[in-house]
Amino acid sequence: MSKIRTLPEAAGLVKDGAHLALSGFAISRNAVAFSHELIRQGRRNLTISQAIVGLDADILVGAGCVRHLVYGGGSLDRFGLVEQINRAYELKRITTESCSSLAVCFRYLAGALGVPFMPIKSLLGSDIVERLRESGSVHEMDDPFTGERLLLLKAMQPDFMVLQAQMADEEGNARVLGPLWDSKEAARAAREVIVIAEELVPTETIRQQPELTTIPGFRVSAVVPLRHGAHPTALYRCYDYDSDHLREYVARSRSDFDGYLRDYVLGKSHDEYLELVGGSRKLAQLKADPMYGY
Amino acid sequence: MATEFSTSELMVVVGARELHDGEVAVVGLGIPLLAAALAQRTHAPTLKALNELGVADPRPIELGVGNADARLWFGAAFFGSFIDIMGTCLHRGVVDVGFLGALEVDQFGNSNTTEIRNPDGSLRRFNGSGGANDMASNARRTIIIARHEARKLVERVSHLTSPGFLSGGRARHEAGLRGGGPSRVLTDKAVLGFDESTGRMRLISIHPGVTHDDLRASTGFDLEISRDCAVTVAPTPEEVRLIRELDPHRLYISGE
Repeated sequence: MSKIRTLPEAAGLVKDGAHLALSGFAISRNAVAFSHELIRQGRRNLTISQAIVGLDADILVGAGCVRHLVYGGGSLDRFGLVEQINRAYELKRITTESCSSLAVCFRYLAGALGVPFMPIKSLLGSDIVERLRESGSVHEMDDPFTGERLLLLKAMQPDFMVLQAQMADEEGNARVLGPLWDSKEAARAAREVIVIAEELVPTETIRQQPELTTIPGFRVSAVVPLRHGAHPTALYRCYDYDSDHLREYVARSRSDFDGYLRDYVLGKSHDEYLELVGGSRKLAQLKADPMYGY
Repeated sequence: MATEFSTSELMVVVGARELHDGEVAVVGLGIPLLAAALAQRTHAPTLKALNELGVADPRPIELGVGNADARLWFGAAFFGSFIDIMGTCLHRGVVDVGFLGALEVDQFGNSNTTEIRNPDGSLRRFNGSGGANDMASNARRTIIIARHEARKLVERVSHLTSPGFLSGGRARHEAGLRGGGPSRVLTDKAVLGFDESTGRMRLISIHPGVTHDDLRASTGFDLEISRDCAVTVAPTPEEVRLIRELDPHRLYISGE
């Protein structure tokens, strides 16, 4: 049975107050169109988790959709900081569990395996662990076998993970190209996965090389075929990041964030957004060279 | 005749000299990446570079804007996940060296990349740990890169994001940390190391042209500077040539 859904239908699965794991890492493979749609639908009180946040998390926080953020850190690389997240943190508009990126991955891994916690040898002795203790997500113990000091991280099983992928079939079998950062463990830990696919392919294409499948379709709830769903972030082997638009986002994030949302997100469809950022001419410039992948 | 070089170029060369052939290093963009690339082209051809987000042994032909830029992944031997690199390599204990940047570093090599208190008491949030704490906790050694200013090289970091020797002495060991801790701090004024028993920062060499008074005034804790302190060995013409070949648009080696 086909799992193909429209962007509004898929975003509608994520209810107010849900825990959503995101797909991006700084300026790459962010599910930006999905964040836009959640903002348009006025979603509130989300918990967001991510090893390294990017524009996908930043814009959700700036639009007031997020109550709690579990993350390892992040920025928009040389384009700038995640101003919306940083401001919300400074002004205590959101609560956070600030971890290391590996700690976020280990919490997903524990969730993916169905074990209650995962030991880690990071964070010991740091101020990070002091603050996490207040959130109840860490516990220290000695290894019962060797006596070695360990930090235990509480498992994480998000309600949803949105996975930006290069291709998927209508059953939800999805293939991510390039490095995976936390996407593999996040998708396996989540109760439901929503795939945003740049290209919808026949299931035979997937089944010819199943070792390339990142998440099998039976773990996926919905597939949204959508071109340029990660713009202005990059999608490896499909398109490069859009430096012009990232610069505009960072500049307006400091002074005119509401204006940015009005101009590009609120009341706009994804196709209208792509026209506003430069249309087919701009998108052709961003197209990846198959030799390089960017 | 002596070669002209920028301070950033000197830092790249010093960073490269700290890397040995056959080692495995987690490197981020900027001076660390250039240091690793320079080492590979000179004395450490089999040095393997890892990018935390899931890339091993790339051979980039262009610099990019950050770890997430596919320009840095080009020619890689392996793509995988964050856990593949930072879990099964770093946490597993096979990473020799990790590079850390820092907003603040203290006398025991603890570093802060999370937040700074403004003079008016308000908070300014920055990037957080990312993989920095994981490297500082688990790499055999770390190299910290920082700007040499009294408000950045401090007695005690205001937020301990990534552990150095904690409160010094055996504190790091007693906290249960496996990795060896920081071996060097590279700044725009000096190369610093750590006393083996106290874990306190000590001076290794002063960069050419930096005075003892300047160094003292730019360091926020008491740093012993002996009168016959070594001067950092300047880059060779060949090293400078290679660096400029690696960064032809001088994205990361301009300044000073």
